[in-house]
Amino acid sequence: MSVLMKARRMLGFDTRKEKYVFEKDASVGHISATRVADTWVKTTCGYCSVGCGMLIGVRDGKAVTARGNPEHPVNRGKLCPKGLSEHHILTAPGRAKQPLLRKNGKLVPVSWDEALDTMVERIGAVQRKYGNHALGVVGTGQLVTEECYTLGKLVQLGFRTRNNDGNTTLCMASAVAGYKLSFGSDGPPGSYEDLETADVVLLIGSNIADNHPILCQRLERNESRTLIVVDPRVTKTAMMADIHLPVKPRSDIALINGIAHVLIREGLVDREYIERHTSGYEEFAEFVSTFTPRHVAKITGLSEARIEEVALLYGRAKAAFIGWTMGVNHSTQGSVTVTAINNLALMTGNIGRVGASPFSITGQCNAMGTREAGFTSGLPGYRKFENVDDREELARIWNVDVDRIPTARGLAYPDIIEGAVTGKIKALWFIATNPVVSFPNHSVLEQALRSVEFLVVQDGFHPTPTAEFADLVLPAAIWGEKEGTFTNSERRVNKVNRIVVPPGEAHSDFDIFLDIAERLGVREELFPGWSTTRDAFNEWRRVSAGRLCDYSGFSWEQIEEQGGVQWGGKRLYEDGVFQTPDGRARLYSVPWEPFLEQPNSEYSFVLNTGRTVEHWHTRTKTSQVAMLESMVPNAWLEMNPADAARLDLRSHDRVTVISRRSSVKDIELRITGIVAPGQVFMPFHFAESNSNLVTLGAFDPISREPNFKQCAVRIEKSAAR
Amino acid sequence: MSLLLHERALTDGSEDLVRMTAGEVQDFSEVHATKVLIPGRTPEEGEQYRFHFNMTKCIGCRSCEIACNEQNGNPTDIRWRRMGEIEGGTYPDTLRHYLSMGCNHCLDADCVKGCPVNAYTKDPVTGIVLHSADACIGCQYCVWNCPYSVPQFNAERGVVGKCDMCHGRLTDGREPACVNACPEGAIEIEIVNLAEWRENYAAAESPGMPAAGHTVSTTRITLPARSAADLERVDAGRIRPEHAHLSLVFMTTLIQMVTGALIAALLWRRASLSMLGVLLGITAVALNISVFHLGRPAYAWRALKMWRRSWLSREVLLFGLFFAALTLATAAAWGGGARTQLILGWTAGALGLAGTVASAFIYLVPARPAWNMMHTPMDFVLSAALIGSVFPAALERLAMLFGSAHSVVDRMPDAIWPVALCAGLWLANQVVRLVRLNRSSLFERRASAALFNVEKLRNALALSWGLACACVVLALVGYWIAACAAAVGAVLCARYLFFVSVVPLNMALTFVRGGER
Repeated sequence: MSVLMKARRMLGFDTRKEKYVFEKDASVGHISATRVADTWVKTTCGYCSVGCGMLIGVRDGKAVTARGNPEHPVNRGKLCPKGLSEHHILTAPGRAKQPLLRKNGKLVPVSWDEALDTMVERIGAVQRKYGNHALGVVGTGQLVTEECYTLGKLVQLGFRTRNNDGNTTLCMASAVAGYKLSFGSDGPPGSYEDLETADVVLLIGSNIADNHPILCQRLERNESRTLIVVDPRVTKTAMMADIHLPVKPRSDIALINGIAHVLIREGLVDREYIERHTSGYEEFAEFVSTFTPRHVAKITGLSEARIEEVALLYGRAKAAFIGWTMGVNHSTQGSVTVTAINNLALMTGNIGRVGASPFSITGQCNAMGTREAGFTSGLPGYRKFENVDDREELARIWNVDVDRIPTARGLAYPDIIEGAVTGKIKALWFIATNPVVSFPNHSVLEQALRSVEFLVVQDGFHPTPTAEFADLVLPAAIWGEKEGTFTNSERRVNKVNRIVVPPGEAHSDFDIFLDIAERLGVREELFPGWSTTRDAFNEWRRVSAGRLCDYSGFSWEQIEEQGGVQWGGKRLYEDGVFQTPDGRARLYSVPWEPFLEQPNSEYSFVLNTGRTVEHWHTRTKTSQVAMLESMVPNAWLEMNPADAARLDLRSHDRVTVISRRSSVKDIELRITGIVAPGQVFMPFHFAESNSNLVTLGAFDPISREPNFKQCAVRIEKSAAR
Repeated sequence: MSLLLHERALTDGSEDLVRMTAGEVQDFSEVHATKVLIPGRTPEEGEQYRFHFNMTKCIGCRSCEIACNEQNGNPTDIRWRRMGEIEGGTYPDTLRHYLSMGCNHCLDADCVKGCPVNAYTKDPVTGIVLHSADACIGCQYCVWNCPYSVPQFNAERGVVGKCDMCHGRLTDGREPACVNACPEGAIEIEIVNLAEWRENYAAAESPGMPAAGHTVSTTRITLPARSAADLERVDAGRIRPEHAHLSLVFMTTLIQMVTGALIAALLWRRASLSMLGVLLGITAVALNISVFHLGRPAYAWRALKMWRRSWLSREVLLFGLFFAALTLATAAAWGGGARTQLILGWTAGALGLAGTVASAFIYLVPARPAWNMMHTPMDFVLSAALIGSVFPAALERLAMLFGSAHSVVDRMPDAIWPVALCAGLWLANQVVRLVRLNRSSLFERRASAALFNVEKLRNALALSWGLACACVVLALVGYWIAACAAAVGAVLCARYLFFVSVVPLNMALTFVRGGER
């Protein structure tokens, strides 16, 4: 800036007026000229799994504005603050722009050729020395389905390691496992519009107002509904509820069994549905007979009358909907809790009907895509490793020898990490995930990252806390820079489009996978003639044809035109035929057990973790969006006023959260009635105040999902700075 | 102004991205018709637009804040729409609600009244309080005047800006950005009858909002049915010192020094040419410093414009006249008669005093309760007296050091009692003010007093009061130059504290108060 310009600014002759002009955009109307677009690109939001349709305005090749697509059936023109500012992520600083290889202890820029040659050579060396399964790969729900599918094939058939899992194990694995147990297959049975037509909506451990805000308009539109929210914390969602059930942490199984007990006692069960479409009812009925309201009241902390009231509401509903999220999944009992929820729906016939469904509200934008196509916990297309027919069918489609296809699942994410500590896993490849912030019990993870011989981190951003441990950093394109599909919580396959080109030398994950396949010598075998994600989609359509998650009936163009297409239609199991061998859904007897790490005199608080609307997961993206970051720049710890008085703490004091594992230091204290006495809450988004330093490394035995939500801690005032 | 009616939103087949909802999308449940969130007509005579905020619908998602900044292309730290959190009750019967507020487009808007350059207008048709960046000189008096802290100074531009209800969109029959963005339909534009609203504006009151009566806010707030009275702001513990406005600290101190010294010199008959010359020089410096408080110093002259209405204009006018009179008095001392000099000198003194009082009245704004006390004008006048009581003697001592004091004729003996009296009164005023702040029923006043617990501020207070005492002692032992320096130091510190310790009225913000506004 010239001296003259500076002087003009200082004296106020120049008020930067040109930057603050308004123009009339042809589509949007009167708006800041900086947000006027010359073209609009339809796409789907890249944050959560609600799957909102968006229109990104582009001018001169730069994304300048984001708006909800009013034609899109999911969000009808509305977006949450993350979506409304999502175009900023495409111009954000902090992007990974060139491959980096660790040489003499330092990450230095290298060419793509050197990067990928080194990767294939080093991983090859590890596999030759320790066996193919010494490579562990952790993918993500952030990629497009086409990339998830390609990655799965590359890892399982190219690298020939079974130890392939996604970060979805940290969020939705329990829902998957629960669905499989009850219905014989993964797949959320309902639709968002059921929220509008149900007369009772029961949300368990689900804070949609913070985490899926765009779903709230469905409840807003449903004027006759009774909303019941089960959550130990008075969340934003709890404040929306007609009835908030402030249960004790992890007492939901008891509550659900208690509701089942009252339903049976009152005859509010659908006898016909039970007889025709389920198995295990008699045993189940016998089992829940002990869950009397009195017993359940003791466990949950609710009154008997409240439990009866809620049970009657649910039982008498014409259409009842149960939604759940991480309060259920993030637990060592997550999978079985899901089956308990499914029990309620099945015994009352609240499934496969308008407004009636058990429904997991998913986390990441494409967690569903990786569940269906990812080749991690199952074979692509909800096929089973252990089913020989499934393996043979896939071998036929892929034109590979059936022996190439694994007969059992490899290690799940937490077991890959444990394997790295014990020496079973010697090379790790993380794709679009940031375990240093998101994985529980950080010290074990850190040991794993330090133990492996070769660690590859592929991400759109650099540096990330995980990349600090990397031997190789591969810069990847992110949302908005590539094309494909995301599948949302209600099984709606949405189109994702390229808006801008990736920065620097960043490549799309798809291109990276193909380049690696080339170097492994499997490109022509596994990905014959492929050049774009469309090729992957077309093969995926053939692979999924005839399966529950059948993509064969629609093309990219049709998806885009229709504002997304739900595979399986609006509802699954409308005919009451399930994916089990006998077509009947299973009713399980789910025992209630206290959560693992109970508080004691030394660690007297139960720590609950969660999210806030302004941020997304480990903040890799949202910390780069100035507006979001400035709204909530730091973590906090919520504590009940009674506990604060006892500990002589005041709001804004700096405190330390100490568990048996480690401590989070210097976090701001918020004294609030939002949390119950004896419980504290902190958001997990912040690497600087990483809740996973203290969380428990305990995992669901079925889904392998971590128990993020409850661990025992004590709180001390931090030493003055 | 033509409003394209809401029918357009429902029937227009064009690729209109910002229809409130897409009525024709098939998956929409037919039972719920599209809700129209802006009026279907323009206000008539005796009416205006207003915001309606439905607290029972708001889920605190903050889409409105982002939409507002995107609409207006504002930098991150400027929020024309802000969200606040309010909480109450005891677990598990905890209440938590949210406020989402832009400008309240008040009936008696203090921003409009205070503006020295008439940058604000209340639109005659819509009632929207509009601000002109072109007219604005960046004096930020509106920022001090608004009880909701709505206008915000954009340092990059040197001017203030605020919510204009997306006037330009309403004109086209489109909803404001916040209304459009809200997933819950919690924000609406309505038409309000002015007379009826003035009669009863109880619906503008809400926990977490300053009393609506100061300026008659037009925003209607629908409160939750459950005892809203229990709700309290959650940001009360996060009070930060305000901007120090150093140019104003120096300008007010220096000009009060000149006024006090001039009057003292006239009383003690010490208004020599050199004395007047020095005072004139200091005044010139002070007035020049003051313009750098403005975002647009080049347009300082515009501040004269609204002298009929704005205390800021009056201050500028009076100090301008003061400077002129002082210049003439100095000229008279140089070459005119003693009588002319005396008349001009006293005229200047009177104008200086009037200017000092006008200057104090700038700070008597309800939106800044710690300023809005009799102690403010008292402090300004007593500061002038305190420095004035030592300045002439100090200046003469200084002149003696340079060997030119002999020119001073019929010198009066230096009196210690005025110094002791002025310092005593000045200190008493300070102490009483602090005690009253501390005991006030108003949260913002108590919060101001509490800010003195911040170490930096506490030290500045100790220094200020210590210097005032030292001034008397130094004068007593005859160190007049040092006494004068101590007096100036005391006033500078006190004035710095005056600016940083004020806690403005504001809507409740969030616990983590992003942007710290």
